[in-house]
Amino acid sequence: MTAVAAPPKPVSAPAPTLISRIRRITRSYFFRVVLQGLLTIWAVTTFTFFLIREMPGSPMDIKISELMDRQNLTYDDAYRAAATLFNFDPDKPVLLQYTDFIGDLLRGDLGGSITRANVSVLSIILRYLPWTLFCVGLALLISFTLGILIGLAMGYWRGSWFDNFITGIASLLSGIPDYIMALLIVIIFGVQLGWFQVGAVRGGVDQTIEAGFTPEYIASILQYAFMPVLVYVLSSIGTWILAMKSSTISTLGEDYITVAKARGLSEGRILTGYVGRNAMLPLITRLAISVGFVVGGSVIIEEMFQYPGLGRNLYIAIAGRDYTTMQGIFLVITIAVVFSNILADLAIAWLDPRVRIDKGEK
Amino acid sequence: MKRNAALVALLCVIALVFAVVPSPAAAQDAPTGQWLGTWPYAAPGTHNLNSFAAGGLNDNLGVVYRPLVELTPAFYLWASKEYAPILAESWGFVDDNAAYEYTLKEGATWSNGDPITTQDVVDTFTIGRILGWTQWTYLTSVEAVDERTVRFNFTENGASLNAERQLLKEHVVASANYGELATQAREVIDSGATSDSEEWAAVRTAITEFRPEELIASGPYTYTLDDVGEAFMTLRWQPNSLYSGTVKFGELKLWGGETEVTTPLVLSGELAHSTNVYPPATIESFAAEGIRLVTVPRGYGPALLFNFSVAPFDNVLVRQAMAHAINREQSALLTNGLGASGTVYMSGILDSQAPNLISQETLDALNKYEYNLEGAAALMEEAGFTRNADGKWADAEGNTIDVEYTFPADFADFSAAARDASAQLNEFGFNVTERALPWQEARDAILAGNFELSVWSWGAGSPFAFQNFNNPLRRWTSATLADDQPGLNLDISALEVDGETVDLNDLILNVSGGLDPAVQQERADRIAQIINAGMYYIPLNEMLSVEPLNEASIGGAPADGDPIYANPSNDHFAIYLILNGTLFPAGQ
Repeated sequence: MTAVAAPPKPVSAPAPTLISRIRRITRSYFFRVVLQGLLTIWAVTTFTFFLIREMPGSPMDIKISELMDRQNLTYDDAYRAAATLFNFDPDKPVLLQYTDFIGDLLRGDLGGSITRANVSVLSIILRYLPWTLFCVGLALLISFTLGILIGLAMGYWRGSWFDNFITGIASLLSGIPDYIMALLIVIIFGVQLGWFQVGAVRGGVDQTIEAGFTPEYIASILQYAFMPVLVYVLSSIGTWILAMKSSTISTLGEDYITVAKARGLSEGRILTGYVGRNAMLPLITRLAISVGFVVGGSVIIEEMFQYPGLGRNLYIAIAGRDYTTMQGIFLVITIAVVFSNILADLAIAWLDPRVRIDKGEK
Repeated sequence: MKRNAALVALLCVIALVFAVVPSPAAAQDAPTGQWLGTWPYAAPGTHNLNSFAAGGLNDNLGVVYRPLVELTPAFYLWASKEYAPILAESWGFVDDNAAYEYTLKEGATWSNGDPITTQDVVDTFTIGRILGWTQWTYLTSVEAVDERTVRFNFTENGASLNAERQLLKEHVVASANYGELATQAREVIDSGATSDSEEWAAVRTAITEFRPEELIASGPYTYTLDDVGEAFMTLRWQPNSLYSGTVKFGELKLWGGETEVTTPLVLSGELAHSTNVYPPATIESFAAEGIRLVTVPRGYGPALLFNFSVAPFDNVLVRQAMAHAINREQSALLTNGLGASGTVYMSGILDSQAPNLISQETLDALNKYEYNLEGAAALMEEAGFTRNADGKWADAEGNTIDVEYTFPADFADFSAAARDASAQLNEFGFNVTERALPWQEARDAILAGNFELSVWSWGAGSPFAFQNFNNPLRRWTSATLADDQPGLNLDISALEVDGETVDLNDLILNVSGGLDPAVQQERADRIAQIINAGMYYIPLNEMLSVEPLNEASIGGAPADGDPIYANPSNDHFAIYLILNGTLFPAGQ
């Protein structure tokens, strides 16, 4: 009898060690993108911290000038008087200010406004950010959607009267700065033609309506957002239209479009299913950057319409050299821009695996 | 029957009480109509009602509207050089000028119904002492003589007309809000602590961090934080003020924002009066819309500043030549259109005030530096310069005058003045290069002495010579600057004038001292002569405030030329005319 050897035990793969797990995580595309994002936020925050302090004139300097002009104080007396008004010590070494700032930041504390005593930067951001997200976010959504659709149609029917006419309009709109656009609309339609009361489009909501989740309050919010949204859409839509048109034209030259036409697919199917989807891809990164900047608001438009957004507060903070408020708002903008870019990177990598492989993930 | 009689008696007593005790709210009907003004107040969330803190009443209501909420003792009428009573009924120097007293009007009450007493005044100044108010440079103490009379005790030689103005212009705040802080302040002061002590700093912090829940007003208008919106804030009439019965507006609606934001509102008629500085073209469009424009002194003008460490500006002949080479009427026109006038007297005091503060004899004798290119050329030649082949002035070694003129790009008026002066000087034979900077950087450049030519303000909205002479000669020199700030690089405490050394700093510091206007005029004459001859800066023009006053909304405004319009912006005519009921809603 021949002894039958016992079948060899299947060799199980060695259990992954902690180190190998960590190595796997650190080599992952997701990890690298997020780490890169965090480092970018730190670098930008540090850069803006020092840049802000390099700006001519501190909040103290501005007050000192005012006191010297109005009260004829000497510089030293004005300095002492100004020091009583601000939560800020200009003599503190900048590096020490920086370490304090980073320490507080790690604890989630953005500090207090320098020029507005007893007001925390976080409270300013929390109060005004939703307005900006709503107004500029809505405007971006409208501008992007309309821009993509119009640009797609222009590219597909390039050379038509529609293409030529809209190209002219889009070029004109993209060349007019937003503040000029705002002024023109207010002066021409508000003052000259009297289509609306100029004062009735200022602010974020009718001050006489009690705040609450009521139809009147919501309608008022929409009414007051109309003008800033309109200006933002008009001043940004031209760029989306022209970019989408250009992307559509280059997509139309691809072989798969010719094949789709040869297969006898309907124009609508080709336009939406083949041209539109592919032409839109290059605009996603641009959209991601725009989404990131939504939180910063639109400084000039918000100031023109006295809209209670973060952009207007940034304007006020810069004018008054309110360092801490500026830092806080820039930090929020940085985080938003970086993370929207990360999301765009991840989305593109998910849509197109070649991106991950190209960037080293095996 | 007994019960009924008792009830009737009780009702009678109640009726009697209501009849005898005046109820301010019932005593006068609320006026109707809106004043449509503007002020760049702090937005909701950062707005506070503290009279002493940043973001508080001073910032939110400014020089025009704060006096309608927190009354001052008196209001200065510039044309007649008299004070009109507001919260006080009488005032004056006492005890051989060792002190000053004013007496509050009888029946003055706060918006909460409390009487306004001298305790309120004492508390106001006690807090001001902790905050380092200028008044405490000449005061030793403030005390209540009785319920209505308050006494300000002066340091030796502290009495002056300037001091009187500062005391009568200071807003009085309510002890009901600030009394506790004033008590803390008194304890620290009485303990002998100095202003750099920790105790002093602690009270100072407590004062600036205090956030009153309610604004207790002495004026006929008040507001709550609920009245502050993003686009506008509303001051509402209150019945308990001395002036509640005289004012004609039920509300003062103040639009937020600066010039560019308020322009469309003025044009559309939704803003009736504004103190913003509008560009000449905008002013013209207001006039084209039929909006009345009222012109008042602004209390400053742009001046060409020299860096005295840069040749040839250390040479008085060159400075005088430059003064002759600049057409100041043109400068005024280009600076602010109708809202500016070319400087005439070149005395160091604004032309609108010079005849009040300098004798006519001296004014007549001053060099007016008329626009005279030939005279300017003669002075340049006397200074050792000759024109080269390019028509540019060159010194004996052939060096032309190549200089940079820095100016604040964001101040439209100063920019225009500087650019015009550059163009005129280049026309005359200089090589001036314009350099636009953010205003903070332009100011820092002057402080650091890091400029060649620059522009900043001269004069002051004050009826006293000191404030006028102070700016810019003390404002930008070692007389007021820190040790590491050379400013104009000019030592005004040791100027060579007619072969002798003159302490101009000392002369300016003392020009408005004492109580005798004649003596003050003599001193001002002397300083004006020194400044006129030395031409230490060129006062290019005097700015005027051209303010839209839409008569479709506001009635009762006096005709142009009325003495009230002699008041500059910081003693604004609207304060007085609203309080005394001269201005009213149009159509009433």
